[in-house]
Formats: sequence, C-alpha cells, structure tokens
Amino acid sequence: MGLLEFAKKLEPDKKKSPFLHTVYDGFFTFLFTPNTVTRGGVHVRDAMDLKRTMTFVVLALMLPFVFGTYNIGQQHFMAIGQHTGYFEALHLKLVFGLIKIVPIWVVSMVVGLGIEFYFANRKGHGIEEGFLVTGALIPLIMPPDIPLWILTVSIVFAVILGKEAFGGTGMNIWNIALLSRVFVFFAYPTTISGDTVWVAGFDQLAPGAAVDYGWADYLFNGLFNAFGWSTFNDSAHITDAFTGATPLGIAAHAGWHEVTEVYAPSQMWWGVIPGSIGETSKPLILIGALMLIVTGIASWRIMAGMILGAALVALGLNAWGATPFMEVPWYYQFYMGSFFFAMAFMATDPVTGSNTPRGKWIYGFLIGCIGMVIRVLNPAYPEGWMLAILLLNTFVPLIDYLVVQSNITKRLKRA
Amino acid sequence: MDFINIFIKSAFIENMILAYFLGMCSYLAVSKSIKTAFGLGLAVIFVLGITIPINWLINEYLLGENGIFHTDLTFLRFILFIAVIASMVQLVEMVIEKFSPALYTSLGIFLPLITVNCAILGGSLFMVSREYNFTQSVAFGLGGGFGWFLAIVAIAAIREKMRYSQVPAPLRGLGMAFILTGLMGIAFMSLMGIDPAALAGK
Repeated sequence: MGLLEFAKKLEPDKKKSPFLHTVYDGFFTFLFTPNTVTRGGVHVRDAMDLKRTMTFVVLALMLPFVFGTYNIGQQHFMAIGQHTGYFEALHLKLVFGLIKIVPIWVVSMVVGLGIEFYFANRKGHGIEEGFLVTGALIPLIMPPDIPLWILTVSIVFAVILGKEAFGGTGMNIWNIALLSRVFVFFAYPTTISGDTVWVAGFDQLAPGAAVDYGWADYLFNGLFNAFGWSTFNDSAHITDAFTGATPLGIAAHAGWHEVTEVYAPSQMWWGVIPGSIGETSKPLILIGALMLIVTGIASWRIMAGMILGAALVALGLNAWGATPFMEVPWYYQFYMGSFFFAMAFMATDPVTGSNTPRGKWIYGFLIGCIGMVIRVLNPAYPEGWMLAILLLNTFVPLIDYLVVQSNITKRLKRA
Repeated sequence: MDFINIFIKSAFIENMILAYFLGMCSYLAVSKSIKTAFGLGLAVIFVLGITIPINWLINEYLLGENGIFHTDLTFLRFILFIAVIASMVQLVEMVIEKFSPALYTSLGIFLPLITVNCAILGGSLFMVSREYNFTQSVAFGLGGGFGWFLAIVAIAAIREKMRYSQVPAPLRGLGMAFILTGLMGIAFMSLMGIDPAALAGK
C-alpha cells in the first residue's frame, strides 16, 4: 500500500485549507474508491462508481483522440501537397497535430475544471467528475484552428449556465459539450462552419496561401534534422487543387458524385477527411461505441434507434430525390459528417438521454429522423446531429413521463 | 399541402414561444406541473384555432373596404379581435369549470388571462400582416397553438424533473425558468431555416 500511504501523507488539512482539500480529494478518488458509504434508504452499491464510469468513457475516446491528432497533420500536409501518403512523415503530422490539439485540450480542462473546483468548494461538496468527459469531448468536436478565447467563452457559458445553474453533475438537461459547441456555432459562426476552418496551420485557407507554423519549425526542425528526418518546410504554399470543403459541404450543393471526385468512400470511412478533430474516423469511433455498449455505460437502444431513424429518413429522401443532396445513397450518408460520433458519445449520455427502455428507442429514433432532416433539408446548417440531440434533450423529460404514465395506465387496466 | 406547410412552420419552425417569445407570462407561471400545463396548452390550441379564423372573417368581411360596410374600419381591429378572444376564453372557462373542476382550480387566474395572452392576439395580428387566406389562417391557428402546447408541456416536464436538482438558491423558480426557456430556444433553432413551402415546390 505504498501509494495509499504516500497519498495520505500529501493530504492537506481540511479545516485550514478547504479548497486545497477539495482539490486533493478530487485527485485522490481517482486512485482509490472512497470507503464511505451512503446511509438510509436503498442505494445500489457498485465498484463502477461515477469516477470509474467517467474514466471509462474517456478511455473510449482515446482512439478518436489519437486519430484526430494525426488527421490534423495529415490534412495540413495534404493541403500543401507534401508527404501526402498516409504513413509518410508521421512524426511531422503527429507533432503538428499535438501543437494544435494540446492547447485546446489544456484550455478546456483548465477552464472547465477550474469552474468545477470553484463551485465544489463553494457548495462544500466533493469535486464532481462530470467535467472529465465533457472536457475530453469538447476538443474532439471543435475545428483544429479554433481561437482559444472563443473556446474559453463557450466552455464558461456551457458549464455555468448548462450545468452549475442546474445543480451540478447529473442534473443537467442538455449535453454540456454540445451546448458549448452550439454556443460557438451561433455566436461565432465563421470559426466553426464553412469550407475554410477545417484545415489548420494557415493564415487563410485559399490556394497559394503560405503556411503559418509560428514557433514550431524553430523548435522541432533542429531536432528532426539531428535524427535525419524530414522537417517542417515554412516556405510551402497551399496547392491549387485544394478546396478545403468537407464531404458534407460538397454534397449539400453538388451531390454524391462530386464528393467521390474529391474523396474516395474508403477515405471517408477511415476518416482522412477535413472535419472536427475527433469526428472523422468511423471505425475507431465504432470501437469506442462497442466498448461503451459492452460495459453498459451507453445504451445500445439509443444507438440502434438512431441508426434506424436516420436510415429511414435517408431512404425516404432517396425516394423523394428533389435535390442532389437527397439523392445521396442512404448508406453513404453515414460516411459523411459526424453521425457516428454523435451516436456513440453524444446521444447516449446517460444524464441527458432518456432513462426508460422504451423512451430510449423513441429518443434515439427521433434524433436519427430529425438530424437527417436538418442535415439534408435545412440549408442554414451543414450538419444536423448536434442540434437534433439538443432538441431531443429538451423533450427527454416529457418522453420519460409519457412512457411511465402509459405503463401505469397499462398496469391499472390489468389489475 | 399548403395547410400542412403552414401548420409545420408555425408549430416547429416559428414557434410562438421559442422563436417569438410570445405568451410568456402564463408559460412561465403555469409550467410547474405537466397536468396543468397540458390543460392550459389544450385551451390555448382551442382558443387560437377558433379565434384566428373568426378574426379572419371579421377582418375580411366587416373591416375591409370590400366588406359589407364598404369603408375602411381597420382602426376597430384591435377592439374586435380582443372581444372575440375574450368571448372564446369565456366559453373555454365555462366548459372547463363544468367538466374538470380540478383543472379549473389549478389553472386559477391564468385561465381568464388567456384573453391577454400575447400569443393569442399576436397570432391574429400575424394572420393579418402575413395576408393569409381562410384555410391558411386555420392552419396557422392550430399550428401556433400546437407549438405553444408543445413548448409548455416540454418545459413543465423539465421543471418536474428538476424538482430533485439542487439549483442554486437565487435561481430557484422563475430564474431557472428563464434560463430553461433560453436554452430551449437554442435547441429549437435547429429547425429554423427550413422552408416547407420551398421544399414542397421542388
């Protein structure tokens, strides 16, 4: 028990410095499950407590995280036409990705957890772990070049108004990560939508624009030279063939055929396309989804309902076929955009999602339908899942109420 | 087709509460329990669905220059609209008192106050300014009422669920209701921008 003794030695005095003790307690419970138990009433006791659940979701997010880091670099180098092979110059791509993703990650953790610590101390309870997952999700749903102050403002908005006002972790009605994204989306639309935000590392995204590495090439080029590896080339320019448009952006006005001229379907499936940092790689997201289903954290009913709803609406749109976007084959709708990411990690949030088994089917199905309707039929927004999930989060208490009421009336009839 | 388009548009895309923020007082005050919210929502659907077509008839055949008096009487519009609304609300009140006394007492003062619910008069005035015809105004009345119903039932369900949350003391009650309404408004922006009429034309 060396670790336990060591941790106990560090423990600050609870009376003298309550804030430090709250922070200490938050980190301590990462290592050890507290042995305090609830008293009175019936409680489910399980080794899988809140912290373990949250940590597991973060683990499931690691694969999209690593791939997102790589993809930031890959998109950058494809834009300037260097090292375009997927496995060429991995060190450059990973380092470049890290330079972009680490500040986003640090800002979202520091700002979010700072607010969390402040409120935990103020209310006099232990630190609630809710922000761990939110803080891991937020970097994955942002474009790589998001200005950090906008990120900060959006997280402050989402955590204070979306969670702390509702009474903390487990009480919120809307998904906090999505609230922060929707805040950026409506308050600073040019930083998070359009064709020119998804590829990082340029002062502007247009053919001929110069790369902008800042301090990165000074710091790393000497190191890479010492190993004899390829280095950042700060005189590179964006190639003329570059568009920067996401598959969805192309499909929205030109249809599926145009999309395949720029991106191969397998490329879209594996995720080497521009997009939010973590949303692009479908197989890795599905592995994460599988992990969550097996451990019982995420509900397979919601995921199945969502796929069903989206597929049905997409089939219906195929039959209608009035615009090129509607004629995109229904199964290819899943190759584009963030459907799987929203399905695996956003809709299945156990707090904001429906709690009743039948409610989960309804909730998932309606997200699938409405998300696809927004994506294809609403010209104002490029993608639908974020807004569809927020819309259905609004109706979750109502869905659960109706399901419970219908069960009550059914049983009363049987009696 | 036109009927369905206007219904969908007024219920979901241009929701009376969450897009125009009309009819807020009873929306905030009566949304503490789902049952009363349900009752008030139905009453609003009924009143909107009846008054807008009646007001359309009045506006078209009494007040307009092509009406039976052949003079421009539109300065009487507000008074007549409110009179129609008040009489319809009176009718609803009597029906509810007769058939559901429990709902009648729980709605309390807010039932007669539907008369001055801005969503109702707002609906009639939108109907005039958007130059709807008769079927369109029926669709608009029912759709607008349904949207209002949906919003108040949704917020009532959220507020019932939140009874177990530890909301910070200064925000309890109305403060939280305002925050909820704002966030619901954001969520409802998901459908804004869809134009059913343009889609149907394709």
